[in-house]
Formats: sequence, C-alpha cells, structure tokens
Amino acid sequence: MARQKITTSSTAEYFSKNLQQVGFSSPTKAVLTTLKEAVDNSLDACEDAKILPDLYIEIKKAGAGTIKNTDLIKIIVEDNGPGLEPDEVPKVFGEYLASSKFGRGRCSRGQQGIGISAATTWAQLTSAKGVQVITKTPKMKQAFSCLVLVDIKNNKGIIKDKKPVQWDRPSGVRVEFLIDGRLQLQGEGGLLTYLMGTSLVNPHLTLKFKILDQAVQKVERVTQECPHVPDATEPHPHTMKLGEFIGHSHLFGKSTAATWLKRGFSRISSKALEDFVKNGLNKKLLEVTVDKLTDAQFKEIFAAIHKTELMAPTTRSVMTIGEEAFSQSIRRLGEVDFFAVLTRRPTICDFKPVAVEVAIARLKSGAVNVGELNANEETSVQVLRFANRVPLQFDKSACAMVKAIETVNWRTYGIVQPKGSLPQGPYVIAVSLVSPFIKFKNASKETVDASDELVEEIRRALIQAGQRLSRHIRQENRAADLEEKMRHIEQFCPILVDCLCRITQAPESRKKKATEGLVKLLGRDVNVAKLQLQEATQEAKKAKAAGKLQVVDDESLADVEADDSAPKTIAKKSAKVKTDEKIA
Amino acid sequence: MTKSDDEIPKLSKSLCLRMLTDLENAKRPVLEAVKCSLDNSLYSPKVGYLTPGDKMVRTELNVASVQKMSRAIFLLEILLRNLDTGAVNTKRELYYIAKGEVKHDPSLKPLDFQDQTESDSVIDFICEMLECYREDLNCYANDRGGQTYSNCLIVTEALPDGGKAVVDLSSLGTSPFQPKNRPQSLTLKAKKKIDFCLVVESEGTANTFVTNGFCKRNNSILLGAQGVPSNAVRGWCKLIQDQLKIPIYFFGDLDAYTMQNIYRTLKAGSAASLIRNSDFSAPDVRFLGVLPEDIKRYDLNDYPVKESDPSEARSLKKASDALKNDPFFKDKKNRGVVKILEWLLKNKRRCEQQSFFTVAPRDPIMPEKIILEKIKRGDFV
Repeated sequence: MARQKITTSSTAEYFSKNLQQVGFSSPTKAVLTTLKEAVDNSLDACEDAKILPDLYIEIKKAGAGTIKNTDLIKIIVEDNGPGLEPDEVPKVFGEYLASSKFGRGRCSRGQQGIGISAATTWAQLTSAKGVQVITKTPKMKQAFSCLVLVDIKNNKGIIKDKKPVQWDRPSGVRVEFLIDGRLQLQGEGGLLTYLMGTSLVNPHLTLKFKILDQAVQKVERVTQECPHVPDATEPHPHTMKLGEFIGHSHLFGKSTAATWLKRGFSRISSKALEDFVKNGLNKKLLEVTVDKLTDAQFKEIFAAIHKTELMAPTTRSVMTIGEEAFSQSIRRLGEVDFFAVLTRRPTICDFKPVAVEVAIARLKSGAVNVGELNANEETSVQVLRFANRVPLQFDKSACAMVKAIETVNWRTYGIVQPKGSLPQGPYVIAVSLVSPFIKFKNASKETVDASDELVEEIRRALIQAGQRLSRHIRQENRAADLEEKMRHIEQFCPILVDCLCRITQAPESRKKKATEGLVKLLGRDVNVAKLQLQEATQEAKKAKAAGKLQVVDDESLADVEADDSAPKTIAKKSAKVKTDEKIA
Repeated sequence: MTKSDDEIPKLSKSLCLRMLTDLENAKRPVLEAVKCSLDNSLYSPKVGYLTPGDKMVRTELNVASVQKMSRAIFLLEILLRNLDTGAVNTKRELYYIAKGEVKHDPSLKPLDFQDQTESDSVIDFICEMLECYREDLNCYANDRGGQTYSNCLIVTEALPDGGKAVVDLSSLGTSPFQPKNRPQSLTLKAKKKIDFCLVVESEGTANTFVTNGFCKRNNSILLGAQGVPSNAVRGWCKLIQDQLKIPIYFFGDLDAYTMQNIYRTLKAGSAASLIRNSDFSAPDVRFLGVLPEDIKRYDLNDYPVKESDPSEARSLKKASDALKNDPFFKDKKNRGVVKILEWLLKNKRRCEQQSFFTVAPRDPIMPEKIILEKIKRGDFV
C-alpha cells in the first residue's frame, strides 16, 4: 500500500462539506433551516435576558439562484433581545462549536453552536456572501453593522465592512442572509407551518412576518410572562461514560474525590458515598485529591458508583409551557372549534429528565389553519412536533411523538383511525417535548429517537388529553344520535305504515292507529337517547368547569335541561357541523 | 322448498298484517329470518346437503331498524307487483326500479339506495324472511355457466305463458344448451340410456371435449361449470340427479379452492344459501379428479402453491378453517374429500385439470381416455 499523507481538517471544513447533516440537504430545507436557526438564537437570547421577544421576519426573492432550479432568497430576522457585543459577532455567526450553551444541560433551543454558523456557510457557499449582521446592546449608542464570513480552513469568523449605523431600538440583533433556496410556504415542511408552530409553543412571542409580496402579518403574544429557563443541574453519574467521568474531574483538580463527587454530580450525598464503600470502594480513595487519582482508581470509583442504586436525576432542569399559556396559544392556530391541553409532570425517561405537553384541537370546518393544510374528515390529523419549543418538520414517521400517536386507540375517543395509523379528521395534535438532553436521531434535529420509555410517556399524555377531548365529542355524538333518531321517526314512520296498508289493503282508520302506535314506540327510544345526551352534556360541563376542556364557541354547552326543546338546540348545532363537514 | 306463485303473496300479506296489528297495539313488530351462516349449518349424509340450524336473525322495530324495515316492505311491494304482473327483473334492475320510485315520489327519498349492495342485501333479507328463493320473487340472476352438451337428452321447458318448449340437445351440434336458474320449470327425458354426466370445472375444456367428439363417442351429458357453480348450474345438476338418476362426476383442478368453493358447493350447497340448498345441490356428484394419486400415476405436471400470493394463501387458510368448522368436511362420510384437502395443505402443491393433456401431447382425446378409464376403475372419491 502506497504511503499517503495524513492531513487534519477543521470543524468548519468538515461541516462545509457535510451541510446536509445539519439541515441543508435541499434548497427547500436550506431556507427553513436558516430561518429556524436565526429565530432559535433570537428567542434564546431574549429569554436569557428576560425580555419578551418581538420578532420581525421577512423573506423575499432577490433573483435567480446559482444552483439549478433555485431562487436567491433573502431572509431577515430582527429581534429586540439584549444584542451582541461586536467581538462576539464573529464567534456566534462564523465559528463552529462556539456556544454559550454547549453541554450545559439547559432546555435551550440551541445546544452546540453549529446551526447558525452552518447557515452562514450555506450563504457563503451559494451566494458568495456571508451574513449581514446589525447588533446593538443597551450600552451602545450606535449599532454595529458588519458582514460575517466563515474562515473554513481555520474555523474562525471573519468580519468585513464594519461600520456604525443608526438603529432606532434600545437593543437587538438583525441578521440578513442571502442564500440559494426554494420557498415552500405550505404543507408539513412549509414556512407558514414553522411560523405558526413557533408561535404556538412560545405564547410570550409577538411575531411579525412578511413573506414574499403578502402583507405583514402579526401574531400577538398571549401571555406577558417570559418563561423562566431553569438553570442546568449537575450531571447524574449514571448517565456518564468512564472517559466523561474522568474528564469531569479536571474541573475539581485540588478537591478531594468526596467533594468532587458531592459537588460535581447530582444525587450523590454522604449516604451515597457510604453506599459506594459498601459496594467495594476503598474508603481512603475518597480522601485523595482528584488530581492525584490514577486511571485505575477512577475506574474503581466509577464501578462502585454504577453498582450503587442512586435516586433518579432531578427534573428541576425541565421547563413547561403550562396548560394556561398553551390554551391561550392554541387559539392562534386558526379557527379552533374545541381543544384540550395537557401538561404532564416532568419525569425521567431513559435516565433523562423530560416534560411532555400535548394539545389536541379540532379545527372548524373550512377554517384556515396551520400552514393552510387541507384538514378534513378523510385526511390524517395534522401533527405538530416540538423539541425544546422548536418545531420539527421533517422525517415524521420515525419520530417518537408520531409513534406514540399511532399507538393510541383514538377510536375510543370518537376520532376515526385506520388500524395502526395516524387518526383522521380536522384535528391538530401538538406534542411538545422539553428536556436538556433530547436524543435526536440526526444532527439536523428533525426526529426524536423513539425509545420505549419516551414513547410510553408521550402516549400517556396523549391518552389523558384524548380523554378530556372525548367528553365533548361524546356529547356531540349523542346529540347527533338523538337528532338522527328523531329524523328517522319523522321520515320512516309514514312510509312504513303506508306500504303495510297498501299491501294489506287496510282501511284509513287502521293506518291512523298504526301511525300513532309507531310514533309511541319509537318515542321510547328517543327518550333513552335524550337521557344519554343529558348525561354526556353534564360530563362535558364538568370537564369544562375543571378546565380540562375548552370549547371556543361555547353554544353547545349552553344550559341543556331535561326538557324536550333543549336537545333540539344541540342537535341543530351538531347537524350544522355535520353538514359543513360534508361540504368540506 | 320452492314456493308456488300464489304462496308468496299470501305469506307476504300475512307478515304485513301481523306487523300492522303490532303497530296498532304499540307493540314492536319482529321480523325473523333464518341465519344463513356456517355456524348455523348442519350436515347429515342422509340428507346430503347443508341445512339450516335453529338460529334466527331477529330484527325488532326500533329507531335504528326502522329504515331497514321500511326498505324491506318497500321492496317487497315492488316484488309482489312483479309476481302479480309476471314481470321479472335482475337485482340490478330492481335497484334502478327502486330509485325510479323514489325519483317519482319525493316522500320516499329517505328510502333511497346509495348503491346496489344496499338493495341487494334487502332483497336477500326478504328471501330469508319468506324462506324462498329470489327466483320465486321473479328476481333472476344471470344464468352463468352450465352449458350442456348431449346426444341423448331432451329438455322440456314449461313457459310462463303456459306453453311448452322442447329442446333435443342432439340437434344442437356443438352449440350448448343453457339451463335456467328456475329448474322447476324443466323436465328431462333420456332418448337412450345415459351412462353418466360429467361436470367439467373449466368451460373451455368442456368445449374442447365436445369438439373432439366426446358426446358422439359416449352416451353422456357433458357440462361446463365455469368456476364456482351458479344457481343455474347447481339446480341443473340436482335436476339431472333426481330425474335421470345417473352417476354424476366432477372433473376439476386439484387445489383447495376447487375442493372447497366449487365441489363442496355443487355437492352440498353453501352456508349463504342454506334455505335453498335442497333444490340447489346434487349430493350424488362424485369427485373424479384430478386426484393426488393421479399426479404420480399419469406423471402430471404440478406446481407449488405460492403462499406469497394473497389469494392462494387465503385459499389455504380457508381450507384449513373448513376442516375445523365446516360440517360437510367434518362428517365421516366425506373422509375421501377431507384426505385430499389434508394432502393439499400438507404438500402445498396444485395440479390443473388441463395437465391430462401432457400425458400424450399428440393424442387430443387422451384426457377423455383417462376420464373413462377412471370411471371404469371406480377411481373417484
């Protein structure tokens, strides 16, 4: 074998050749990923600074792209966050793995510091321009404007065209990418679906956007509370590998092993240290300073820890949107008929803290909805997936959230579902997963790994939300049932009696008597249906009073008493819904 | 159990009267029909065909069933009108007649049928309720299959207008006689002694036999079943069996579908037609082949059953279920047929009737020779 020269590459070099791994696998995805990375950064920055985010997004075509069948797309994202210091700008936008969040175990959107640098690289590779940045911190009198490029050979950000500019806001960042791409507005991977999804899980966000020649649209925030992102907790020793474990010790060089273990990890107490000793750890080792420990000693400590049962990791590092804010937010999806939201208590799945939130909403027939997807009785429900409050829009089938939806028996809750598939109908099922350690299936963070524990946790949330929703659906079904029964009496009684009388050549007097008898007979069935409707209505009322169910246009829960006229009101409404659905 | 023309109107009228009286008394009328399914099928070798058990399908009038009952009485009225005038229709035609009635009388709109399957099931329900054949209600199916050839048979048909039509099959050359699915109107007479009747599964092969002179050389009746036997074929075989009292042999493929769906239906009727199996099955018919032993004896070309093919896999599954649940296959009298099914399930091979042509490819009448040899030797089940 001929001897070949071995070379090394920079991180930037690697990613510039493998941009498909981080969401730039097609011109369509490139636009969405660029927008997503910019929005994620803005929202994270606002939340860290406790600022209610006001985002402005503009996307327009600026000519033909250099790649075949693409356009030159301009993407502008502007926020009111704390802004970046000028010296931070090249690191944020031009350097890979430069992040304030890497490995910290917080529930922030961005984690590694790859995404936005990849977007700059894409812009640089396709339009030969990097990203145009304007930034202003509250301390700066004038904003700072520059063009950032990636020095691919050295993984460094390069700044060009530096200049001060006037900017009429106290602080914020404005980025402008010029990239080759293709615009997809609607559908699951569409920009509109992304924007509406982002506003759904960020109730505190005010979003203004202008896409192509459309007028500026504004989605107002529905809560004035900026979410508190819990601080990261120390790592749990059972989640570490030996190498990580030894690496972690370097932060505690002069401390004793006992101090390192107690302070550097969660769930290790004095009692746990005693248990380590019981499980074969030499007690003297705990008094040795960490920098003096040999690899064999580290291994001994590590083995003892893994032999010992420890409390599961804490769930304090996990945040949720909350049912109230989620309920407010879901109304922004479109014309929602009724919905149920559910926030599960944070729990441990696969030894990682996780919180699952679910919202299920039925859209009014013919309503303009998320991403303007065609929602009707025959199509599958729209699934909105979120990981750390970021919409996931691709590779749906392998995702833990979709797998969980498919395993629920939705027919129990009155929703149509072909066997082993997603349910059908004009519903939106939104599943939000928040965890400092979400296990994605790929670097572009499009799909959450479907481990059994996680799927089960999501499934439980869906079942609970489905149960809440079913109370309203059951009430509707009962009303429709009653209406159908009454219609049957009206329609078929005269026909049946007429036919019988013609065949038997019975006189008119018998016809009258038989009609009366038939109406009396069937009236008994109707009374049973009325009782069932009353029961279902009471159940739905209770669920609503307990805040478990929200009916947007709440006429159907208007006082339904045990009189004859009440069911008709409901029946009328459900009949209207039915007719509309048929038209749809 | 064929019912005479005046019996059906009487039965119908009495049923409607009962319903009307119940309604007058605010009592729920109940319609009862024989349950036509395998779990209500009985088989006795003495009777020879599947008969209904005690299970009945009860339809009680309530808001959920009022539509079905109304539709049944509505269609019954149309059928009674047909019986009165002597008009006949197919199920498809009745579907359109019903739609026409609705079109001309908007008050009947709630009864409207969305597709033919809806009206078909109501017609079947009426037949089961009155325990009659749909032919008794002047509702005829297309007379598929049963093309018959013979040099010794004369058929006399009693026509609806009271006249008679006499058909001498020997005068038809290679054209077949097509039996109707109202066998009670036909009378058979042998011109000379008929030795046997051969029912061939494939109509094409039956044609080949005739063209090659089968009927000239043999005093026989030859008929093509054309797959699963229609009512016409079933009634026709029963008629040949009862009126001519000659041996009847069935010659078809060696596979689970033929044994279970074709041969069993011809010999003992089906679970879906429990109420009319007495007139639409020929219990004396014997399975001549292809038998498993024929494959070896005549070195026939056979094939493995492709379990990847959904229809063949379904057939095997049905056959294995039939061995467990079908009273025909569970009876000791039919042990021979059961053995064939077991052989098919075990070996998962199939052999077609046309494989007899491989025995002597240059002798066009070799299959006929084998068939005659098998009959002579008693080589059938």
